[in-house]
Amino acid sequence: MKVLIVDDEKPARDRLRQILDDEEAYVVVGEAGNGVEALEIAARETPDIVLLDIRMPGMDGMETAHHLNAMDSPPAVVFTTAYDEYAVDAFDARAIGYVLKPVRRSRLAGALEQATRLVSNTLSQVAADANLNSQRQHVCAHAHGELKLIPVHEITSFLADQKYVSVDHDSGNDLIDDSLKSLEAEFGDRFVRIHRSALVAVDRIDRIEKNAEGKSRIVLRDDSQPEDKELIISRRHVAEVKRRLKES
Amino acid sequence: MTAAPGSTSQNTQVYLPDFSAAGTLFIVLLVAELVAIVLTLAAYTPDGEFLILLSKTSFFVLWLALLGSAIMCQLRSRLERAGKTRAFVISFFVLQLMCLAVAEIAWQLPWRLTGTGIVDSPHADFLLRTFAISSIILALAMRYLYVSSEWRSSIVLEAQARISALQALIRPHFLFNSMNTIASLTRTDPRQAEEAVEDLSDLLRASLSSTRNLTSLKEELEVAAIYQRIEKLRLGDRLSIRWDIGELPMRARIPSLTIQPLIENAIYHGIELLPDGGEVLVSGKRDDRSVQILVSNPVAPGKSRDKDGNKMAMTNIQQRFELAFGSRASVDVDDSNDRFAVTLRFPFDEGTS
Repeated sequence: MKVLIVDDEKPARDRLRQILDDEEAYVVVGEAGNGVEALEIAARETPDIVLLDIRMPGMDGMETAHHLNAMDSPPAVVFTTAYDEYAVDAFDARAIGYVLKPVRRSRLAGALEQATRLVSNTLSQVAADANLNSQRQHVCAHAHGELKLIPVHEITSFLADQKYVSVDHDSGNDLIDDSLKSLEAEFGDRFVRIHRSALVAVDRIDRIEKNAEGKSRIVLRDDSQPEDKELIISRRHVAEVKRRLKES
Repeated sequence: MTAAPGSTSQNTQVYLPDFSAAGTLFIVLLVAELVAIVLTLAAYTPDGEFLILLSKTSFFVLWLALLGSAIMCQLRSRLERAGKTRAFVISFFVLQLMCLAVAEIAWQLPWRLTGTGIVDSPHADFLLRTFAISSIILALAMRYLYVSSEWRSSIVLEAQARISALQALIRPHFLFNSMNTIASLTRTDPRQAEEAVEDLSDLLRASLSSTRNLTSLKEELEVAAIYQRIEKLRLGDRLSIRWDIGELPMRARIPSLTIQPLIENAIYHGIELLPDGGEVLVSGKRDDRSVQILVSNPVAPGKSRDKDGNKMAMTNIQQRFELAFGSRASVDVDDSNDRFAVTLRFPFDEGTS
């Protein structure tokens, strides 16, 4: 079994490695100090199990687990935490594997044996139960078999396009697997729905104007929207968009 | 007095005794009788009527005491709700009124019934004397109750502060993380593991021994330095602390474990959430009469979840400063910039310390 260790503290990583090195059944294929690094190594090494610290700077354990799930063959995840009663209750309730620090040899082995793949849905629920930040700071796209992280604050719009959602962001355009509905639920505070199949970042909107056909359309701040992809606001959503614009 | 210090909730305190309780009533009557004896002794002219005078005075005073207790018994729950100062002012006037009413009845009733008075002095004179004496005695009693309630509430405050100190001690997070670090170091660097155990012991000892006492600034800063060493093992280069404390009077007294939790907060809510870490700044200033210590840390953008834990620690420190220095100390939080900063100000007396 290939194991990836993710923790921002070196002594904590050392400790896990020490224990795993004594076990025949497990091979440590990498150590990562943060979530982004973890995803890179995971894509390269395709571990079976990821030992994931919850509290990390930048991308925390919960978000990392979300993105790990989006991989082609997602690894099983075991969370590690020093003390977080809410998280522990939530994990117990949904049978998610975790170990408490200081890590005990016997408990780690037990957790690794039981480690199963998580479902993103469960993960969101656990995050909510545990009072952890359930909003990701990145969405991830698959481009040519590689995992690509797009910071949420760089995103202009999500446009549903048949099977995928296309993401317009500062450095281009990518396709992601998430549904528009779940994106709206997660990022509803930043984005507003302008018609059945589009969400636009409120802080990227400059103004609303009428086009030649008398329909309301969105003009973006940096005016980067190409002519052929006009952002038309459907009649149902005009009032809501205006309200959100006024609020911001 | 029988009332237990505010055991039910923090804000409502019992400051009036329960006058319907047998113990209280006994004390009230005892005091009343003593007052009667004093009054009689003061008025006594040696013509062999001491006991008659005493019994008349006692009769009158005990009536006042019993009626007063009955009234307080009825009013008590309502007075407790009115607030401390108001309760004392209201009960003073109500009891005063009762005294005058009883005095009036004592003067009038025997005349009506028998045609002779048992009170020897003229009507107005008697009322005036009753008024003056009852004013003084009521004022003394109120003063006594007020002071003892202040004393009780200071006990409550102290108990709260002591609990706060215990809570401030060591966060479970810190303890478990440190243990994990030590477990790891026992293999990779036994010598450092040894030091870490010693440091952790010192920290625990400091926190256990001094939950209620003031300590010197020197000792408090040493505890903070030990704490820093342990955290440094865990966080490595991500943590740096700049100490700018040369100006501080090391003999100044400060509630123990008040600077260390600030550094703990700065690390937990600041440094740990920054991928590249950052610098905690501890700086101190002094003038003639006071010391000012500032602890600040950089803040990771968009982290709001930890606010509550932070607030609890601040309340802790605030309570203990209030107990130690009253209104002469302050704890100010400034999170308006990109750094989170807490400033402690407290008095320092060059002469005595």
